[in-house]
Amino acid sequence: MTLFETVFSGNDAVYGLTEGAINAAIEQHGADKAVSFPNTAYCLPCYYAVTGVKVKTLGELKEALGVVKTLMTREMRLNDVFMSGVATALCAEFIEVLKYIDGAEPYTEPCYGHLADAVIRELGVPLVTGDIPGVAVILGSAPTKEEAVALVKSYQAQGILVTLVGGVIDQVAEAGMKTGANLRVIPLGKDVTSVIHVVSVALRAALIFGNVTPGDAANLMKYTFERVPAFVNAFAPLDDVIVACGAGAIALGFPVITNQEGVSTVPKSLILQPDVAKFNATSLEARDIKIKITNIDIPVAFASAFEGEIIRRG
Amino acid sequence: MSEFKLTTVEEFEAATARLLETGAKVGADAWQFRVKNQTPHCKFGEEGVCCRICTMGPCRITKKAPRGICGCDVHGIVGRNYLKFTAGGSATHSDHGREICHTLYESAADGCYKVKDPDKLIRIAKEWGIETEGKDIYDLAHEVAETGLMEYGKPFGTQRFLKRAPESQQELWEKNELAPRAIDREVSCSLHMSHMGCSSKPEALVKQAIRAGLSDGWGGSMMGTEFSDVLFGTPKPIETEANLGVMVEDNVNIVVHGHDPSLSEMICEFADDPEMIAYAKEQGAKGITVSGVCCTSNEVAMRRGIPMAGNFLQQENVVLTGACEAIVVDVQCIFPALGPLSKCFHTKFITTSPIAQMPDSEFIRFDAHTAGEKAKLIVRTAIENFKNRKPELVHIPQMKQKATVGYSTEAIVKALDGVTNSQVDELGTTKPLLECITSGVLRGAVAMVGCNNPRVRPDLAHIELMKKLVANDIIIIASGCSAQAAAKAGLMDKRAKDVCGAGLKRVCELADIPPVLHMGSCVDISRMLVLAATLAKDAGLHISQLPVVGCAPEWMSEKAVSIGNYVIGSGIDTFLGVDPYACGSSEMVEILTNGTKEWVEAAFTVEKDIEKLGDAMIAKIEEKRAALGI
Ligand code: SF4
Ligand code: SF4
Repeated sequence: MTLFETVFSGNDAVYGLTEGAINAAIEQHGADKAVSFPNTAYCLPCYYAVTGVKVKTLGELKEALGVVKTLMTREMRLNDVFMSGVATALCAEFIEVLKYIDGAEPYTEPCYGHLADAVIRELGVPLVTGDIPGVAVILGSAPTKEEAVALVKSYQAQGILVTLVGGVIDQVAEAGMKTGANLRVIPLGKDVTSVIHVVSVALRAALIFGNVTPGDAANLMKYTFERVPAFVNAFAPLDDVIVACGAGAIALGFPVITNQEGVSTVPKSLILQPDVAKFNATSLEARDIKIKITNIDIPVAFASAFEGEIIRRG
Repeated sequence: MSEFKLTTVEEFEAATARLLETGAKVGADAWQFRVKNQTPHCKFGEEGVCCRICTMGPCRITKKAPRGICGCDVHGIVGRNYLKFTAGGSATHSDHGREICHTLYESAADGCYKVKDPDKLIRIAKEWGIETEGKDIYDLAHEVAETGLMEYGKPFGTQRFLKRAPESQQELWEKNELAPRAIDREVSCSLHMSHMGCSSKPEALVKQAIRAGLSDGWGGSMMGTEFSDVLFGTPKPIETEANLGVMVEDNVNIVVHGHDPSLSEMICEFADDPEMIAYAKEQGAKGITVSGVCCTSNEVAMRRGIPMAGNFLQQENVVLTGACEAIVVDVQCIFPALGPLSKCFHTKFITTSPIAQMPDSEFIRFDAHTAGEKAKLIVRTAIENFKNRKPELVHIPQMKQKATVGYSTEAIVKALDGVTNSQVDELGTTKPLLECITSGVLRGAVAMVGCNNPRVRPDLAHIELMKKLVANDIIIIASGCSAQAAAKAGLMDKRAKDVCGAGLKRVCELADIPPVLHMGSCVDISRMLVLAATLAKDAGLHISQLPVVGCAPEWMSEKAVSIGNYVIGSGIDTFLGVDPYACGSSEMVEILTNGTKEWVEAAFTVEKDIEKLGDAMIAKIEEKRAALGI
């Protein structure tokens, strides 16, 4: 299968799941049932950013899925792949929002799931000033938990905001690593769809700080490409769904670095780095991130990430 | 920054119409009128079925008269005409290459011509097995030049540069007796074969046409390019501008036209000279502007960023501005019409080469020994002519576009280095481009080349095809008048990424390149051969397997046919918008559009409908992708 076909297939799979989930939810709750994420003024932020439409009920969600379907064109052109990637992301957002029906709290410690607008405003300023030089999205399970921890710590030491999705969350937990927004290591969720919560951060940042008009998809993607220094580290094995999500990331300008052998690489966008120890350097170079902080030779990792750490006695 | 917008062919035409009004005032002739006088063209000639190679003829083939007097059938006649056409083109490029070899031979530390890219010289010397250690660079230059000159007439062996091709293509050449021997030999062998009573078998004639073409592409043209780089520097990305608006009304305008950079480089050198600029001011001008037409323009644009006034069918327009003090020419594609036309204005039409002598011109013989003083004389002559301008006739259409040019193979590889990741990639290869193609981000590449031809609405086919291809994520490399059409339209402005598909747009953004890469003049199509060969080698494929095709939608010259032959000869399918006088023979059509695949794994497609021509190229590229499973 070619890279493009893989993306299309992953997108089709996610679309099928989404459609099923929305139909089932309507059956259960009725079309007028309200859907929303907590603590955001942007409804379904990704869908709102891309289309300018605020979705508030399950019925509207179903309509929105029809719009998403129109993004899933199937020419063998990068535009189609990008849009398919965006469609995959939007489907993920739909699946995620269903988890929050009736004020449910689907995510428990250490996972965050959806992030509130307040968190974005708080992180947005250091992102714009460069105090947070980058955003790492780590997805899947590292070959060993030691490698997982080493990678996360390496970013943390550089002041990079780290978000975790999937097996890596358990890996760092098992290793006893502390996580949390105050430490700038944010476990999102174990399902791959929870990756949307970091995309949601990037897109809300574009709306809040970039003054992008909701629905102006072209400028939205331009803003994230030029201004949001995010990148993805996706561990092998990659399935079609992850590759489809990756296409969405690349569409927004975020390179994907993976250790999956045999992947069809794309310069500056989809990079094969078999050695996880080199993920950090490879990612920073791919996203043109220059670290301002010089390494200070002290026995604990030193960076602004630790400013928020609560020093406990003992 | 002002909004970026492509210039349309309608706008070009409106500008031309305005210039023709000036022409009407002074009674100037123009190609637009001469085309009318020549239409309709002779059908026998158009189909290639007319033979006049001996005085038993002229013979022409009709239903009633299926054979010439000697008994040659239509296939033999079309085939011989085709071969002669090719030989003309091959001779032209090759003689140009030879001149450059001579210039290199004349280079000296204190001479008019110096070695500007010694590294490239050393690289070529090593490639040719010439000892470089401890040698004075000029001694080496002379040795390399002499070795190069021998390529034109050596009694044994084949062209040295053939080794640059992938093994698979070399094997095909060997197996099918297509490997070009000495360059001149292939030209004269072609003329021999097409003499009355020699070859009349279409296969043999086409094979020789390919061999003569290959002797150009991998011989004459390649040496022309390589040694021009050695002498004048290997092109690097550089900013320039294109279209008639580059001429400056208050300045002395010198237009260089023709092909050989030995002349244009020198003119540029002296036009920059403070003494000359001071002299121009003394004569009432504000400065000196050199701009170019056709391939010599491409040469100085690539290396010096000298602006491009226009391509082939714009050469008369340059004079019609009334602001051209001198149009200085050397060889090839120069309208003899420029002589009488210049007489309608104050313009001096200066010919410089014994190869191209024309009535109504001022002949200032140019050669390597006296290049400096001759160039100075030419620039002076232009300056002194400024006062003779007729202000009432001056009109320069204010139309131009920005262009980034200078994409030699070396520069392209450098640009590709810019998108590598030092943690995983090696530098100095074409691999990043291959990755873009393999993943599907780019669907493929098209080499757009060739001339203008009044048979095709000038520049329209070039521009429309390029727009269509880039929208389909196909990257363009361009040369010759095709490249200038792109530059005039704005397709070499980096902002033109916005007219591309998402894939090419992303590549342009990341590599910081325009979607159409100017690779130089017509001899610089040899750069494209080297690029294709490198891509094939880096990918471990035959050239013919790459999703790459060639296209000459508005071609007109014999050189273009020679180019076409070496491009298919190198395994690259080639799409033509004008028929090479071959449609009169079913056998020739079959060989050219299909039969050659057996020998070189590529063939021609002729399609006059531009829309269909574009579709056919895209289909071919997708077909090649499917075959590779990418
Ligand atoms: S070569 Fe044959 S066909 Fe040609 S002009 Fe002579 S007699 Fe006629
Ligand atoms: S492209 Fe054609 S017209 Fe233009 S300079 Fe080359 S041969 Fe002449």
